[in-house]
Amino acid sequence: MTIRFVFLQANTLRPYLTCIRNTLTAAMCLQNFPCQEVERHNKPEVEFKTSKELLLNPILICRNEAEKCLIESSINSLRISIKVKQADELENILAKKFLRFLSMRAESFQVLRRKPVQGYDISFLITNFHCEEMFKHKLIDFVVAFMEDIDKEISELKLSVNTRGRLVATEFLRQFT
Amino acid sequence: MAAGGVHHLAQCITCHAWNADMSMVAICPNNNEVHIYKASVSPNAVWERVYVLDKHEQLVSGIDWAPKSNKIVTCSHDRNSYVWSLEGNEWQATLVILRLNRAATSVEWGPQENKFAVGSGAKTVCVCYFEEDNNWWVSKLIRKKHHSTITSVAWHPNNVLLATTSTDSKCRIFSAFIKGVDARKDATTAFGDVKFGEELIQLDLACCWSFGAHWSPSGNSLAYVGHDSTIHFVTDVGPTPRARSLSLRHLPLRDVLFLSETRLVAGGFDCNPMLFGSDKNGVWEFISFLDEVKPPAETKTDTMFAAAKGKFKWLGSENPSEESTLSTTHESCITMIRPLVPLSERHPENPMTLFSTSGLDGRVVIWDLNNVGDALARLRL
Repeated sequence: MTIRFVFLQANTLRPYLTCIRNTLTAAMCLQNFPCQEVERHNKPEVEFKTSKELLLNPILICRNEAEKCLIESSINSLRISIKVKQADELENILAKKFLRFLSMRAESFQVLRRKPVQGYDISFLITNFHCEEMFKHKLIDFVVAFMEDIDKEISELKLSVNTRGRLVATEFLRQFT
Repeated sequence: MAAGGVHHLAQCITCHAWNADMSMVAICPNNNEVHIYKASVSPNAVWERVYVLDKHEQLVSGIDWAPKSNKIVTCSHDRNSYVWSLEGNEWQATLVILRLNRAATSVEWGPQENKFAVGSGAKTVCVCYFEEDNNWWVSKLIRKKHHSTITSVAWHPNNVLLATTSTDSKCRIFSAFIKGVDARKDATTAFGDVKFGEELIQLDLACCWSFGAHWSPSGNSLAYVGHDSTIHFVTDVGPTPRARSLSLRHLPLRDVLFLSETRLVAGGFDCNPMLFGSDKNGVWEFISFLDEVKPPAETKTDTMFAAAKGKFKWLGSENPSEESTLSTTHESCITMIRPLVPLSERHPENPMTLFSTSGLDGRVVIWDLNNVGDALARLRL
């Protein structure tokens, strides 16, 4: 039973990630753009949303009801928000703690956003300056690999929590036998 | 490989411009300076930096080098523009009174080099001319009509018409006739007598931001690109123009250059210049990419069974890490294309075969169309 479930999940993972990769290739066509509203400023337009003509249509890619990815793009910046699969309470807590750990260290990731967008678990903000310093195809590889690894990490964490819980419970109850 | 010399000059190049005899090139290495290199078009030459122009405070967004008067005009995100002239061994800057309150995004000398136009984020275009009495450059502003930042400006060969593209997705043609600077006879264009700042045509062909307007050598055609991966060709620009739009399956383009009346090269986020041509009926089509791209190495499987097994393996479990690789000469977006044929050698019948592209990967690449294995294009050239 479990094996079949995993196969089904994996069946939709590849198309989901390919779709995200293709969308990112198109959406990550960013360029330097000086702010129209304030002189001498240069801001990521997707965050401020002051000029409607500089924003592109946001795209929502859903793998199923629980997992989705929102890609919002503009002339000089791109925001990717991901909602990670959370099947039960334990995964919920683990995902929240793990992603909060990563977001707090957003400085070292450079493209990560400190707070996820409302309704999502984690967000990336990629600006034209990132594209100038780093290769665009490598940035996309990073985001897609990140999404794959998140799922693996959370499954591993869940497994280790359950194992540890079982061990602790066994040891504790031994004193009563 | 159609590419001639490849010169990696900085981490990122915003814009570049060549001088009259193609012996020097001015680039902006994505900061507030302009670097001038002693260059040559031969593939194995090493370019040597000779001057650094250091007056601007923010990113220099546009450079243009006037071939006859040897003056360089630069514009920057700090709302200023300077005209530089070579005196002895130093470049002296003259401030231009632009009267802008937002960043300047692009600049181009007029064909007669007595005027130049600056596009800005203030939704205005400044047309500047030299005032002898006060010894500075003064501007006249075209304030109306633009709804958003102007991305590029292009002068018609008659020194009066000016095309602009903007992030409101439109391309507009204005009259930039200035009394006292332009002769009275120049005011009569295909549109009749026109006053300064009058909008003559508004082209609404793209659905997304438009970039890279460029006129053909005779001024009969105009081309510009849209961020929705389209390229638009307008011929017989006048009261009744004809337009042809091509929707491409590739990533958006950023800049275009007319090589002749029937050939155009465009570059953009694909990092590969594209050649377009028009046939004898005036219909523009895509011809080919100019860079020979090597396809990624395919992993070989010996038998059909092994290939099928490999497919299932890939579908289910740990997928092989997908390594994307680049195989074009430019590793990042091409932002500017410039002709490499001196003005004196340009003839209407002789299409240009040498041009240079600069991009966000910091490379200036020289392309020689004579090396392109495109016999068909050469036949019709």
